[in-house]
Amino acid sequence: MTRVPAHRAASVGLAAATAVLLAGCGGSQDTLDPGGRPESKIAHLFWVMLAGAGIGFAVVVGLLLLGWWRRDRADLPGGGGERAALRLVVGLGVVVPIVVLVALFVWADFFVARVTNAPAASSTSLTVHVTGHDWWWGVRYRGSSAVTANEIHIPTHTRVDLIATTEDVIHSFWVPELNRKIDMIPGRSNHILLEADHPGRFRGQCSEFCGLQHAHMALVVVAQPPQTFRAWLAKLAQPAAGGSGGAGAEVFARDCASCHAIRGTAADGNVGPDLTHLATRRTLGAITIRNDPDHLRRWIRDSQAYKPGNLMPSFPLGSRDLDALVAYLGSLD
Amino acid sequence: MSAHDASVRVVRAGEAARPNGWWGMAIFVASEATLFGTLVGTYLYLRGQAHHWPPAGVPRPALLAPLGLTTLLVLTALPLVLAAGWARQAKRGPAWRALGLATVLQIGYLGLQLHELSTQIAQFSPRASSYASMYFTLLVVAHLHVLVGVALNLWLLARLARGLTRYRVVGLRATVFYWLAVDVITVVVVAVQLSPRL
Amino acid sequence: MAVAVPPPERLDRLERVWLPRPGVLGWLTTVDHKRIGLLYFWTTLVFFGAGGVEALLLRTQLARADAHLVGPETFDQLLTMHGVTMIFFFIIPMTTGAFGNYLLPLMIGARDMAFPRLNALSYWIFLGAGLFLYSSMFVHAAPNAGWFDYVPLALRQYDRGLNVDYYALALIFVGISSTMGALNLIVTTFRLRAPGMSMNRMPLFCFAQLAAALALVFALPALTADCIFLELQRKAGFHFFDVAHGGDPLLWQHLFWIFGHPEVYIIVLPAFGIATSIIPTFARRRMIAFPLVAMAELLVAFIGFGVWAHHMFSTGLSTATLVFFAAASMMVVIPSTIQVFAWLFTVNIGTPVFRAPLLFIGGFIAFFVLGGLSGIMFAAIPFDQALTDTYFVVAHFHFIIFGAAVFPIFGGMYYWFPKVTGRMYHERIAQASFWVTFAGTMLTFFPMHIVGLLGMTRRVYTYEPGLGWDVYNLLETVGGFVLAIGLLMIFANLAWSGLRGAPAGPDPFYGGTLEWTIPSPPPHYNFALIPTVTSPYPNWDSRERLADREAFARGVGVLDAGHETPVSTVADGMLDDVATMPAESGWPPLLAVAVTVGFGLLLTSHYATACASFALAVLCLVAWHAHEPEES
Ligand code: HEA
Ligand code: HEA
Ligand code: HEC
Ligand code: CUA
Ligand SMILES: [Cu+2]
Repeated sequence: MTRVPAHRAASVGLAAATAVLLAGCGGSQDTLDPGGRPESKIAHLFWVMLAGAGIGFAVVVGLLLLGWWRRDRADLPGGGGERAALRLVVGLGVVVPIVVLVALFVWADFFVARVTNAPAASSTSLTVHVTGHDWWWGVRYRGSSAVTANEIHIPTHTRVDLIATTEDVIHSFWVPELNRKIDMIPGRSNHILLEADHPGRFRGQCSEFCGLQHAHMALVVVAQPPQTFRAWLAKLAQPAAGGSGGAGAEVFARDCASCHAIRGTAADGNVGPDLTHLATRRTLGAITIRNDPDHLRRWIRDSQAYKPGNLMPSFPLGSRDLDALVAYLGSLD
Repeated sequence: MSAHDASVRVVRAGEAARPNGWWGMAIFVASEATLFGTLVGTYLYLRGQAHHWPPAGVPRPALLAPLGLTTLLVLTALPLVLAAGWARQAKRGPAWRALGLATVLQIGYLGLQLHELSTQIAQFSPRASSYASMYFTLLVVAHLHVLVGVALNLWLLARLARGLTRYRVVGLRATVFYWLAVDVITVVVVAVQLSPRL
Repeated sequence: MAVAVPPPERLDRLERVWLPRPGVLGWLTTVDHKRIGLLYFWTTLVFFGAGGVEALLLRTQLARADAHLVGPETFDQLLTMHGVTMIFFFIIPMTTGAFGNYLLPLMIGARDMAFPRLNALSYWIFLGAGLFLYSSMFVHAAPNAGWFDYVPLALRQYDRGLNVDYYALALIFVGISSTMGALNLIVTTFRLRAPGMSMNRMPLFCFAQLAAALALVFALPALTADCIFLELQRKAGFHFFDVAHGGDPLLWQHLFWIFGHPEVYIIVLPAFGIATSIIPTFARRRMIAFPLVAMAELLVAFIGFGVWAHHMFSTGLSTATLVFFAAASMMVVIPSTIQVFAWLFTVNIGTPVFRAPLLFIGGFIAFFVLGGLSGIMFAAIPFDQALTDTYFVVAHFHFIIFGAAVFPIFGGMYYWFPKVTGRMYHERIAQASFWVTFAGTMLTFFPMHIVGLLGMTRRVYTYEPGLGWDVYNLLETVGGFVLAIGLLMIFANLAWSGLRGAPAGPDPFYGGTLEWTIPSPPPHYNFALIPTVTSPYPNWDSRERLADREAFARGVGVLDAGHETPVSTVADGMLDDVATMPAESGWPPLLAVAVTVGFGLLLTSHYATACASFALAVLCLVAWHAHEPEES
């Protein structure tokens, strides 16, 4: 097992503290606070079902209480006997449920589902390809060389086709405030519709159990006005900006390039997230910690303290190397 | 009180009704048939996912040996049914000989099948593809059921040699029922095994 | 027959014929369904304790955000063991093994199960499988991929230790036991009913047991095949689940849920059976809509086979497939609503006495409807696709499992306690224990709906603060401990009453079924004379019972010549035969030892020695069958 040794307790405590701050930059995951059309349909469906369930539950509990209230009387309230009771069983147990269920079935599975289903081909104007990895998300945009991780930008008021695949085990892509979820299954590419009707940060989380760090496999969808989004995408498509490097780049080439890519440099590993524009991201480790020099430093030295078992080894670098590396990564704007 | 009186003139087993042992075997067979249903279903499912079935480089199954052997196995049902009938009429000798004949044939079947299996494993490994894995799993599970049947027969032969009891007759009836099921299952398995040839 | 022997001597003779061996040896070699039922009861209770402690550890870890009581690996093991233990080692063996075994023969007027030695074997195999599974805890390699163990996470590539091998082998292993148990229950209900008990006079408890057993027989093979495939892939390098070699990860899911959904009705059916035993007794009248309820019980087990893909709504199956399974999932609701209203109106039209067992059934109805309603929500595809794999699911199935399947077990424990021990439980404490357990259940599982809606996914070992989940999680944890207190009250009450309770007499509640016609605790032979049944509530047919006693005095229908029990025809319950039951046997436990050792060797990849061990098991079988019942 992967226990957190005592000397790491301090950094763990810090992680807890920063997590509080982090919640602000992650957004919430409230399915009943929709940020787009599909989820508002689902929320609506839920509220109606809840009302129906409330009535059903009240009827049943009411009958239980009635049974208790009239425990000394061997008949039904209207004076009915076994015949009447039998008719009530058939009515309430067969007829009413059939009517209710057929209505629910048709409404939910044909009308609501039409809005939440995978978008029909060519009904969308942007395609994002998200790949699940143990325990982070790789993100690409069709028709662009932009590559990023964990933070997915989309334009508002735009139907986005998201293709979900996996590199290893099954993950599930879910942004509760935007739409239903979709599993990422080896050998399959599944589609899901994303559509945000206002700008914002929408938190999401992997929702199929995928091993040790399933709990820390979150993501953020950043919905931006279309112009802002286009600018962002254009920038992400560029190779690294501060890529001239120096000492930090050398350390990176030595220790990190086997796993991480920085476009525009020789680093082209694909085990971990693309770091070309790392500095534009607000978080590290699939929304586990805030992306600032302090945390970045600690992440490199000891990512295992934040995400025990994750696939990036801890690097006990000397402080000079570390400083240079952090400065270099910080320049990747 | 007619039922109580009836307990005095109890119907003895073996005649009209099916004994408990037969019912137990029937349920067991139902469960085994479901297992084979699952295996066959999996075979078809994997086949549905595949582009080439069998995959390139794997020989298509031979027709002759499986068909011939299956016919042999199904034919053993005859002496088995006869054995059960004779046992119920307390004809121990004929029952024993019919059972013995069936057992010899079944052992021959099993030997030839195992021989077939080993030559095939030499040709394509079950580790090569889902086709090969499924193919060998299906056959091995089927052969295991024949092996169990043979073991039951041998045990019955040993017991019947020392006389007939009600317990043994029930055992024989249940075993014969088991064999009939194994025959049907084998036919299905062979049909599935040979299906790429169709 | 023994016409001339006077009654006391007849009883003596029965006593002598059926007397078990004394002491521990008697328990080891027992074939008495009552003793085996008790063995099941105590063993499953221990597993319940283990699963419950695991649950409390999970809850303690989740009480607050970013907690570090256990690390992720330990959490995953606890989570998986909790699920596997509760489903396979608590609830199924408790309902079919303990309740079914002990009560079914008593309710149908039989002296034992159809295959007593097989019955003993299924217990010992169950025990072996449980010990096998729990040995993984000691090497810190307990199953860790969740109770449905999805591939590829469960393949060797991602899970290198023995964890998943333990899982797969333990499920195959315990499946053997469940299949044998189910087979026994089916043949017993088919054949060992008292004369006159035609199918339509069979108590609803027995219908429920029959339906559950049938579902088990047809559902388990899918799980067994799945686990065999998994082990062949993990240990022998076969390919069933990996895309690169033509396999498919969804194959695992299909097979698992083809088993898994019927399984949930297997879990809840015996609970329905308990409810339909308790309600008529305390409402003091027959169940209304009796044939409808019997049909519903069989129907739910049947339709349950056609809904499995509702656990896979978000895997990207074709829309047509989803809609089919959604429709089936709506259909499977109808038998349940029939039963709920049949129970409610039986209570309403009767004159119910709300003693502890009926209170638990009231709680059961409320929780069943709560959990059933959230089940309906999940049958609506878009909602499921949003809320699947969140705590909303955890809320659904704990209400419907803990609330609806386990509450009747507690109710049943109180209800049949006087029958089993001959003593009364303490009514006031029993009622208090109900309210504490009820409150604890609500507090533990209700907030899970809310955190689920707030987006909390299941199977997370920790979560970050600020998402609005903290308070609810804390409440759930507190609820878990309240629940534990309620459970301890139940067990304390029963333990104390077992020693000190007032004598109960044969029929303290005036129940309707045959178990109340005999002394408490039941004699080894159950029924001194085999009753003749003319209705589903024979204990309420006083004239027939009087006639029975007269017949006994005349020596008719006693069957005291040996280990004998009557056998009836399947449909009409006409007397057909008298079966001679086997005597005690030491072979079942020995066989189970050999099988357990065999599984241990399979686990550690010692295949040759494993085969040797299984060969030993076969030798035990031969020795066992060398002893024929009629010889003794
Ligand atoms: C005892 C076990 C049990 C029972 C009986 C049920 C009963 C039902 N279950 Fe549940 N279920 C589980 C145990 C059970 N379930 C478990 C363990 C899981 C999760 C497994 C896992 O993922 O780990 C699960 C998951 C599960 C899912 C998948 C969720 C997901 O993971 O995405 C679905 C989806 O359709 C579902 C549906 C149903 C339905 C429709 C019923 C119906 O049979 C319910 C019928 C009952 C009622 C409806 C109550 C009666 C109501 C009234 C009388 C009121 C009036 C009603 C009307 C007017 C309609 N269940
Ligand atoms: C029968 C089934 C069953 C039962 C009864 C329970 C009972 C409980 N379960 Fe659960 N549970 C499952 C089946 C069950 N569970 C399954 C299948 C899963 C999914 C696993 C997975 O995702 O893989 C699950 C998952 C699950 C989770 C989700 C974990 C996660 O997704 O991360 C949680 C969290 O709170 C939980 C809690 C509880 C609690 C608090 C109880 C309480 O009700 C427990 C109360 C019991 C006790 C407190 C024990 C007290 C008993 C004694 C003291 C006995 C004394 C002993 C003797 C006298 C010998 N369970
Ligand atoms: C063995 C492969 C490997 C090596 C070598 C490696 N990493 Fe990583 N890295 C990963 C993986 C895998 C992740 C994703 C971890 C997770 O979130 O679960 C990651 C994540 C990161 C992240 C967070 C990215 C994000 O957006 O969340 C940073 C920053 C990072 N690594 C920097 C480095 C640096 C700097 C080095 C060299 C000192 C390095 N890595 C070496 C595999 C590696
Ligand atoms: Cu990825 Cu859970
Ligand atoms: Cu289900």
